[in-house]
Amino acid sequence: MAKYYELEGKAWDAALAGILGSYRVYAPVMGVKALDYELITAAHIPHIVYNTPKPVVPLKTFFLPVKENVVAGSTQIHPTVIMGIPGCDLGALDLLDKFFLDEEYPDHYYASRRRATILIGTDCYSLADHCHCTSYGLNPYPENHLDMSVNRLNGHIWLSVHSEKGEQLLSGMLGSVPSEGLDEVPEEIKQIRQRIKRELEKKNRKLPNYQETTDAVLNAEPSVWHTFSRKCVACGACATICPTCTCFLLIDRPGFEKVRQMDACQYPGFERTAGGEDPLKKLEDRFRNRYLCKYLYRPEKYDALACTGCGRCIETCIGKIDKNELLVELTK
Amino acid sequence: MANNKNIYKPIKAVVEKVIEESPLIKTFVLVPEEEFSFQTGEFIELTLDGIGEAPFTPSSSPLVKERFDVTIMKAGYVTDLMHKLQPGAVLGVRGPYGRGYPVEKFVDKEVVILSGGCGLAPIRSLLYMLIDMKDKLRKVTLCYGSKTPQDCIYKPLFSQLNRIENFSTLRTVDFADKYWEEHVGVATVLLDNIEIDLPNAVAVVCGPPVMMKYGTFKLLEMGFPEHLIYLSMEKNMSCGLGKCGHCMLGGYFVCRDGPVFTYDEIKEQPHIW
Repeated sequence: MAKYYELEGKAWDAALAGILGSYRVYAPVMGVKALDYELITAAHIPHIVYNTPKPVVPLKTFFLPVKENVVAGSTQIHPTVIMGIPGCDLGALDLLDKFFLDEEYPDHYYASRRRATILIGTDCYSLADHCHCTSYGLNPYPENHLDMSVNRLNGHIWLSVHSEKGEQLLSGMLGSVPSEGLDEVPEEIKQIRQRIKRELEKKNRKLPNYQETTDAVLNAEPSVWHTFSRKCVACGACATICPTCTCFLLIDRPGFEKVRQMDACQYPGFERTAGGEDPLKKLEDRFRNRYLCKYLYRPEKYDALACTGCGRCIETCIGKIDKNELLVELTK
Repeated sequence: MANNKNIYKPIKAVVEKVIEESPLIKTFVLVPEEEFSFQTGEFIELTLDGIGEAPFTPSSSPLVKERFDVTIMKAGYVTDLMHKLQPGAVLGVRGPYGRGYPVEKFVDKEVVILSGGCGLAPIRSLLYMLIDMKDKLRKVTLCYGSKTPQDCIYKPLFSQLNRIENFSTLRTVDFADKYWEEHVGVATVLLDNIEIDLPNAVAVVCGPPVMMKYGTFKLLEMGFPEHLIYLSMEKNMSCGLGKCGHCMLGGYFVCRDGPVFTYDEIKEQPHIW
């Protein structure tokens, strides 16, 4: 059981400043338009935003860069700390780890980034548009894959340690892990958790759960895909911003090098073969494929969620396609 | 970690010989610079340095370890350039990948093979295995179709097979010339010309998608059970590792769960042909 330690806000800020030399620290900072992970310098520390849902990009971007040379690129990754990760993004690691760290074909680049990174989760004290983690059995607070959690409450910081990596980091920051702590989440945070869960459930009461979604997607009339894909321009933003989308291209470089570039099944020609066959030639088939992949193919094969309910695909869609509206429509 | 190799890094192989099989198809005999072996029906990723990579199933016997053949049809950018390769050229090889032909399940069976065009490449590798285990097989029948007599590849293979007891071959072309003495018409019609002991038979199909589709339907009509029709599915297998997503066939990664599937495994998936 993780213990929860209380620290004065200023003491935490000082401890954080103390590790900037040895780690690259990323944390959510408000940009011009959106909350995003920034590489933290001493000047950023007072501006770190605590306990907010979803930074604009998902956690996967730290482990799967848009482009990476996977033959000649270095696997020596600078020790990294990522703060402020919401439960939905940590939940996505269930699938990503099974996918890239499998025994037969482990991806060394993903593995070295994962190994070199310490993950600090955070509770969501509020909801953002389209948040729906609870519809899929996740919670608006970190539960799995985290090394530490950091929550702010009344100007104080509450820390918890969830792994050896987390313990090492915290002892390094504070000299040692505090001797006294609570055995469970402080009462006030517990109440926030319950409130946010209630709000999420209320807001998404019409949304089908994962299993209902799987069944609905599988049994949907072809006309549904045709109708909803009319506004899709195949830009691939939904896949790019999705915390669990993993498809990529391998691009050849001289010296038998290969560059792995993130790809999207929404792009025309995604499955085209040399002879010209293209099973997903029609936009509506590519559109449908993404839903089948999220709610049927990946969960079935990896026993992991392939949609964590972050809702980023809805926010990013330039055709203003609302996945949740579609799913409600399908289960009517 | 079980595998410490970089999964994306190819080994090198030198082109020893180039054999022109037809106007569009060439066989490249490759000598790998590191230890390399495969099971029949598994495939490799072949890299043209700095240009591109494409999947091929070796067409030679898996029992030969020092060299292996890859038969390539000119079908696009990478294969067009591969056709220009001369002996001495160096290629990259990753793999082998996927699930090949389960030859152990063919023991005591009659094997009916339906193949077309360049689809004979993986089948030739399979046939070499079947020759090796011929005493354990009831019968092997190869039905092969090509567009024209000139497009028929591996010409010496047919006479070699016909000399083996219980092995026979039938060939057809879409367009015959005046020297052609065998069948004319699509490959599936050859199935009407053979005698099959259905309760003891398995079928293997490998060829262009349209042949795979109608060949499978024909075999089903003849009474072959769905789980005894083995299909070599050709998709855009790009990484070979079950990761890049380009060869998804419904929930399957063809590169890892295939490329050889039985019809009953894939019949419910969308866009199989």
